Amino acid sequence: MTILPKTNALGFFEIRLESIGGLGANLAGKMLAEAGVLGHGLNGSNFSSYGSEKKGTPVKAFIRFCNPEVEIRAHSPIEEPHVIGVFHEALYKTVDVTSGLQPDGIVLVNSERSMEEVKEELELHHGTLAVIDAMNIAVEENSRLNTAMLGALYRVLGFLDADNMRDVIRQTFEKKYPHLVEANLRTFNRGYEEVQFQSFETLNAVQKQFERKLPRLGYETQEIGGIISAQANSIEKDLSGSRQGFLPAFEQEKCINCTHCDTVCPDFCFVWEEGEDKRGRKQMFLQGIDYNYCKGCLKCVEVCPTSALTEIRETLGFSDENRVKQPFPYTEGVMR
Amino acid sequence: MNHVITEQEKLQAPVNQQVSFESGNEMAAKAAAQINYHIMGYFPITPSTEIAQYLDQMKAKGEHDIKLIPADGEHGSAGICYGASVSGARVFNATSANGFLFMLEQLPVQSGTRFPMVLNLVTRAVSGPLDIRGDHSDLYFALNTGWVILTANTPQAVYDLNIMALKVAEHRDVRLPVIVAYDGFFTSHQKRKVLSFKDREVVTEFVGERPADFPNAIDKNNPVTIGAHMNGDDLIHNNYQQSQAMYHADKVFEEIQEEYEKLSGRSYPTIETYAMEDAEAAVFLINSAAETAKDVVDRYRKQGKKVGVITPNMIRPFPKEAMKEALKNVKAVLVGERADSYGANGANMTLEIKSALQELSGAQPVVLSRVFGVGGKDFYEQDAEVFFDDALEAAETSVAAKPFDYHGIHAGDKKQRLLPVIEPQTGSFDTGLIKVTHDAETDQLKVKVPPLRQLMSKPKRIASGHGACPGCGIFPGLELFFKGIEGDVMVLFQTGCGYVVSAAYPHTSHKQTFIHNLFQNGAATLSGTVEAFYEIKRRGEVEIGDDFTFVMVTGDGGMDIGMGSAIGTSLRNHGMIIVEYDNEGYMNTGSQQSYSTPIGHMTSTSNVGKNQKGKAFHHKDTPQIMAATNIPYVFTGTEAYPQDLIKKAAKAQWYAKHEGLVYGKLLITCPLNWKSEERYGQRIIKAAVDSCFFPLYEVEKGKTTITYNPEAKNKREPVSEWLKYLGKAKHMLKPEHEQLYRAFEIEVDKRWNRLKAKHECEYL
Repeated sequence: MTILPKTNALGFFEIRLESIGGLGANLAGKMLAEAGVLGHGLNGSNFSSYGSEKKGTPVKAFIRFCNPEVEIRAHSPIEEPHVIGVFHEALYKTVDVTSGLQPDGIVLVNSERSMEEVKEELELHHGTLAVIDAMNIAVEENSRLNTAMLGALYRVLGFLDADNMRDVIRQTFEKKYPHLVEANLRTFNRGYEEVQFQSFETLNAVQKQFERKLPRLGYETQEIGGIISAQANSIEKDLSGSRQGFLPAFEQEKCINCTHCDTVCPDFCFVWEEGEDKRGRKQMFLQGIDYNYCKGCLKCVEVCPTSALTEIRETLGFSDENRVKQPFPYTEGVMR
Repeated sequence: MNHVITEQEKLQAPVNQQVSFESGNEMAAKAAAQINYHIMGYFPITPSTEIAQYLDQMKAKGEHDIKLIPADGEHGSAGICYGASVSGARVFNATSANGFLFMLEQLPVQSGTRFPMVLNLVTRAVSGPLDIRGDHSDLYFALNTGWVILTANTPQAVYDLNIMALKVAEHRDVRLPVIVAYDGFFTSHQKRKVLSFKDREVVTEFVGERPADFPNAIDKNNPVTIGAHMNGDDLIHNNYQQSQAMYHADKVFEEIQEEYEKLSGRSYPTIETYAMEDAEAAVFLINSAAETAKDVVDRYRKQGKKVGVITPNMIRPFPKEAMKEALKNVKAVLVGERADSYGANGANMTLEIKSALQELSGAQPVVLSRVFGVGGKDFYEQDAEVFFDDALEAAETSVAAKPFDYHGIHAGDKKQRLLPVIEPQTGSFDTGLIKVTHDAETDQLKVKVPPLRQLMSKPKRIASGHGACPGCGIFPGLELFFKGIEGDVMVLFQTGCGYVVSAAYPHTSHKQTFIHNLFQNGAATLSGTVEAFYEIKRRGEVEIGDDFTFVMVTGDGGMDIGMGSAIGTSLRNHGMIIVEYDNEGYMNTGSQQSYSTPIGHMTSTSNVGKNQKGKAFHHKDTPQIMAATNIPYVFTGTEAYPQDLIKKAAKAQWYAKHEGLVYGKLLITCPLNWKSEERYGQRIIKAAVDSCFFPLYEVEKGKTTITYNPEAKNKREPVSEWLKYLGKAKHMLKPEHEQLYRAFEIEVDKRWNRLKAKHECEYL
């Protein structure tokens, strides 16, 4: 019988996965929960954050495990998890990923960076940090990063039998995609083997704060009928967390201002400015890309007839350094 | 009820049951598949859609025989179900929120003419404002439909009550349709450990043979009239019979659930009580919230607080006697409701519980009423604590300090108000670069469009920061179209991806005025706006320039459910433009087939398997349907041919201002659900045009012109050149699907050749 290492007041061991739509956190959560319940005799529940979220937007997956005799009645999101799995580092900008982590909790992060760098950015002073370069494993094995994350999760959880998941992976792919069985098993195993972890002093450790955020507006400040009188305020959003590791780089010298990129861009990232051409005629010139909104679809790179736009692997700080801001006609007093 | 399945109990299950880990929607589908209904007429709506998807997956694998019929809307789905049930078939449906309200008109027909069926209502907030998550505002509309209503707190209950529901519906003392209602997302999407019968026969045996001794529409030897109209002298008897039948359902359900308990080991009393034996304060909650409250009861009981929970498994008929029994010794009860009955001083359950308590002799409990958790607002233990604390206080003081209130609201901070972020760009959309002139002699339009580079000075009408998926084709398509429109526009988006990602409160990505209405009604809505604008202007009540163009934006889904509205609006010929972005499916709800999905293409309701090969019928030819309404201008366009589209947009504006309604269709990619590479967006659309699947043409006052002919340019490609990019259609290129591929190719050719003939002859 599987023994849960610890449980909360209701008898749950709780896991929260932080990701963006499209990385397979939902599926990983489902496979993990299913294995715990059907393969290890635990009771459990599994669900995701709900909404009309599209690919690239932040999502959470939740897994609750408990002993078989415990009844699961709670259906609210997990706020004080024992384990947090972070699938996508760019989330830090907009999501407090470690919110509510238990004092002796574990954070598993998909990152190519060092343990120290991740620790510092997450301001992690307690518990265990685990780091796995799941993206790299997935690229090398030509598989998906959620399988590598699952392998790493199995290692850090410790109470589930990895062979059981290997069987599940085999069964999942065997029938429809037999050629993918080996790559996925290798991905899982590499996640399991290559994950690095380190525990920090837990003396006087305090739980990571969590707050149930009040909505920005209330019944005295919300316009009646749900009307919004702040047109185009979505420009205040930062969508760079939607990118999955790649973005277009722009070299103005090679640009012929053909507009193809602008025509195909779903997110209106291209910034133009009026100037004079060689003959002194007024013309529009492409200035660059507002990376704040770029989701990394690379349609622009594909249609660029010159090599002004190229695909590059995103490195830390690149988009901030090279961002050309859209010249929106901001109202007075609004931060640009 | 939420029964814990222990290892020991698994062995003790009276008949062979299996353990699985599934959600409420999966369990509803499983029950339906095991019952093997004859017909399911359905239309997708979150969060109930998955039921049809799971059934379609199973169907593709040959796991049941239910005929799944994708309707043109929920009203249509209810019609399909009614038509099937009058034939004596076993009929199933599932819906939520406004889908339920759209079929509401049909529900009393089903119950009043006494044809049984089962509908799963996966509860969700009713618009507007639109909210896709769960509450009971749709369920409360069901209370007066004459349907029996069972409520399921957990995925296990969803399965069990679905099996019992059909038996209740068909019982000769009842003969009424039944709703099984459970919480959207909380129950529909959360996976739990559940039990189900291994053997389908156990279920079919329990449910029994379909009753053959009632009149039906397909009995040749006994022809009948179904649905004669009545007057009051007769209607009152029909109503009385129906009322009697409804009250019978209480006892019938009790009998059936006892029989089911013997079979399954799980019991479902009409009113389930938890720790109520000596409770002084109780909380009444429908469905999932009751489960959370039970956890708080356990904790409060340890502290010596005498509290309990009451939760129903049936609310129609309202189990009055069981409710009285449960509450007779209680000093106070708080009724928590996930919906309001505005102005009634408490929502429906409050009123019905109060009415039942009136019949108690002696002191009545104090009743408190709280509206909470609407639109999927979470219900935490701390919320349940507030409810119990309030009830305990009322029990103590015998006074309802606040009989009715909302729980979970806050006033808001004035500093956090939404303020304008950018200056209105009204006026700046007029570049003067695009010229449309009408030649009175030839009655032709001349359009002058500058090189695209010059148009880069024109601001976009939609702002960055919308939440569409990477590589989404909606916004480049729409912006190209808008580039061709000079001056200010007012847009109406019907429900769909374009709406959802560009107007998610408290954010909007629209610079100019934007309206949303539900997609069965957008065209009519905007026609009202257009006419009001002109009427107010005619009366001289507003000072506003002429350059206001009205544009309705819809997906291909909106042109299915909203087809009637669009045709009616076209026939009235209002001065407005309808632009459809066609991504060949209901992508906003998770890629279900639309009528515009091409044959063979895989969607979540047209799966590919040994028994089914994707979508069963050909794609809808919407431009031709719209052209047949004889509106002045119809066009097709894509981002792959930008100049062509901008020119058509300019013409569209001219026609909308001078002659009447315009319809245009843009084919766009949906990389997520087409399972295509995001980066190849333009290339894929170009292949659709060059293969003549999506010809670029216009119908101007009845005359068809092909505006880009790939054959003439020697660029015609086989449709396989388009399909090869699409994960949803790659199977069509395999040798075993050659017939399917050929059927598609022949259809594309047929339509293309017809178009060429129309291009040649203005009378066609």
